[in-house]
Amino acid sequence: MTIKLKEVDVVIVGLGWTGGILAKELTEAGLKVVALERGALRSSESDYSLPNIRDELRYVVRHDLMQNTARDTITVRNNPTQEALPMRRLGSFLPGEVVGGSGVHWSGHTWRWTDMEFNIRSNYETRYGKKFIPDDMTIQDWGISYAELEPYYDKFEYTAAVSGKAGNINGQIQAGGNPFEASRAREYPLPPLTPILASEMFSVAARNAGYHPFPRPSANASQPYTNPDGSKYGGCQYCGYCQRFGCEANAKGSPHMTVIPIAMRNPNFELRTHSWVTKVLKDSDGKRVTGVAYTNLLNGDEFEQPASMVLLCAYAINNVHLMLLSGIGQPYDPVAQKGVIGKNYCYQTGAGATLFFEGKFFNPFMSAGGSNATIDDFNINWAFDRAPHDFVGAYNVSGGFNTALPIGYRPLPSGTPQWGSEWKRATAKWYQTAMTIGASGSVMANRYNCYDLDPTYRNAFGQPLMRMTFDYKANEHKMGRHAAQVINDIAKSMNPTKLNPATARTDPWTVVPYQSTHNTGGTIMGTNPRDSALNKYLQSWDCHNLFVVGANVFPHNASYNPTGPVGALAYWTADAIKNRYVKSPQPLVPA
Amino acid sequence: MSGLPRSIAAFGLALLSIYPARADGDAARGEARFQDCAACHKLQADANNVGPSLHEIFGRKAGAIVDFRYSPAMKRSGITWTPETLDRFLIDPQAMVPSNRMPYAGMANGGDRADLIAYLQKASK
Repeated sequence: MTIKLKEVDVVIVGLGWTGGILAKELTEAGLKVVALERGALRSSESDYSLPNIRDELRYVVRHDLMQNTARDTITVRNNPTQEALPMRRLGSFLPGEVVGGSGVHWSGHTWRWTDMEFNIRSNYETRYGKKFIPDDMTIQDWGISYAELEPYYDKFEYTAAVSGKAGNINGQIQAGGNPFEASRAREYPLPPLTPILASEMFSVAARNAGYHPFPRPSANASQPYTNPDGSKYGGCQYCGYCQRFGCEANAKGSPHMTVIPIAMRNPNFELRTHSWVTKVLKDSDGKRVTGVAYTNLLNGDEFEQPASMVLLCAYAINNVHLMLLSGIGQPYDPVAQKGVIGKNYCYQTGAGATLFFEGKFFNPFMSAGGSNATIDDFNINWAFDRAPHDFVGAYNVSGGFNTALPIGYRPLPSGTPQWGSEWKRATAKWYQTAMTIGASGSVMANRYNCYDLDPTYRNAFGQPLMRMTFDYKANEHKMGRHAAQVINDIAKSMNPTKLNPATARTDPWTVVPYQSTHNTGGTIMGTNPRDSALNKYLQSWDCHNLFVVGANVFPHNASYNPTGPVGALAYWTADAIKNRYVKSPQPLVPA
Repeated sequence: MSGLPRSIAAFGLALLSIYPARADGDAARGEARFQDCAACHKLQADANNVGPSLHEIFGRKAGAIVDFRYSPAMKRSGITWTPETLDRFLIDPQAMVPSNRMPYAGMANGGDRADLIAYLQKASK
């Protein structure tokens, strides 16, 4: 029997960065907010402190902070001719399942995506002509501008304690920063992290090659910091346990030690953990949502939580899944190219080289989440001409490493035996001597890369699993080859003793090994309801009291990590709700 | 090998005892230095966080708060916290108590430490 609860102003589904930001902002605006989170409440003091947090087996191998695939997972295939099969173990990406979400276990890389992404189709058509964009590449403009988002990027960077060096303040190029970045109003809240030897060596080589290296901006506090909300950060200790772990020093910008505790102190807020939302409920004419249905995972009790407004703030894949399960918006059909829910699923690509220097000691166990140096010469540098290379998109190249864990980190020259005494000898010999240079590349939307509901497999609640259809296309292969060439040229210039060169990723995509937790698209934002699910305020075109927040709103995926725009858009949406929507609940953009 | 860190620590202590804690700390400046500690330590009684509460720290034995989970190293350190022992500890916490669990590299500047300790003497009461 379903228990119907008392109506609240807002129900938030998922309490990570986006849910946390919206919970804080909307409770402060006087709204009654209930947040429903699948995972448990965990805290720095009881869960992420020393020595227990440095447990690679628990957190990396056994995915202690991640989604439990025995309860719900996705099915996967490369193209529509294949039968999709369930991903029974996490691999390529790692959705968080805990209060704080993936914001607990991220590395902290925080970038500003710019008009190069937001106007992508217009930019390429204007410069290269319409024919340059392949017919099956369904990229489109986002309907938002960098100028609109700039104050919200700033707000997120100051909340999350981003350490970095500005490259462009109010149009003035700054020495030591990224000269290609879009103009920002002020410096980062904190100076860059201390560079490690590997990033310094990469920077020298990149500069000698004529490129423009700069320290990667990261939400790893380079020194103790109190953010504008009063949340206190310790200084990063370069312990190397960043990605996959909660921070032992409260130095990594995370929602569980910033926005969420502030919301929890507010009497307008209520958090219900272990709460699994199965459906967003609609009224009889389908124009508004009325709340959500959820199950208490601890005892199986089922509830209906009515609300004047529903905000989907779960992991990107799960937001899209809930839209499909709830029948909101028209599901996307890749054959007819009609419908919008599930459209433009994108991922990222890359290439990487490992360099070995006999006699060097990189001390790989000492690093921060963002202790790399990066070049954007082939990324947001629009002067880089794509025409001779015939691809749309971009990649950044970084040198260094941000995590090198005792069990998993075993850099070995290619040709080393995979086991036995020779493997042991080589492991001991090369462990200290290796560094990496890697590229992270964009993935352009393609009509056949999409989500829908699986016809066969179901989750623990009897609901169809989400089906992901994805593969890299010729565009990404071409970009990968270009990136591998650039990486190998830089690597060779550094004269390593041995080099495992970079190669382009051209095999079909698979769910193993880990690649990146940067799944985007599926409920994309845009300028009209024919080709997008949400307007620029992340408000559903179909139900105006439903907002869907997260990387699922990106119409394509850039080379940069997604959390910068995810955080900025959460603040942007919070302002739109507080300042406009609550005063006049209606579509914020006419359809 | 296991004896090595202890002997380094002992050497460190001998060296550091040449430089006693300064008594001229400025509590007002020390409040700003406390930012290094504040992400993990609170000053109110019974307010354990990532680190133990610093309420009434002076005169307390290290590892003495019953419901805080200290490292074995801290519990058996035998330290009683005074301005002098805290000053020595904060130079390089791993040198004075090897294997303690505080993720903090230390405060190198003696003037900064004196300011911080002056602040703690007021604020921890």
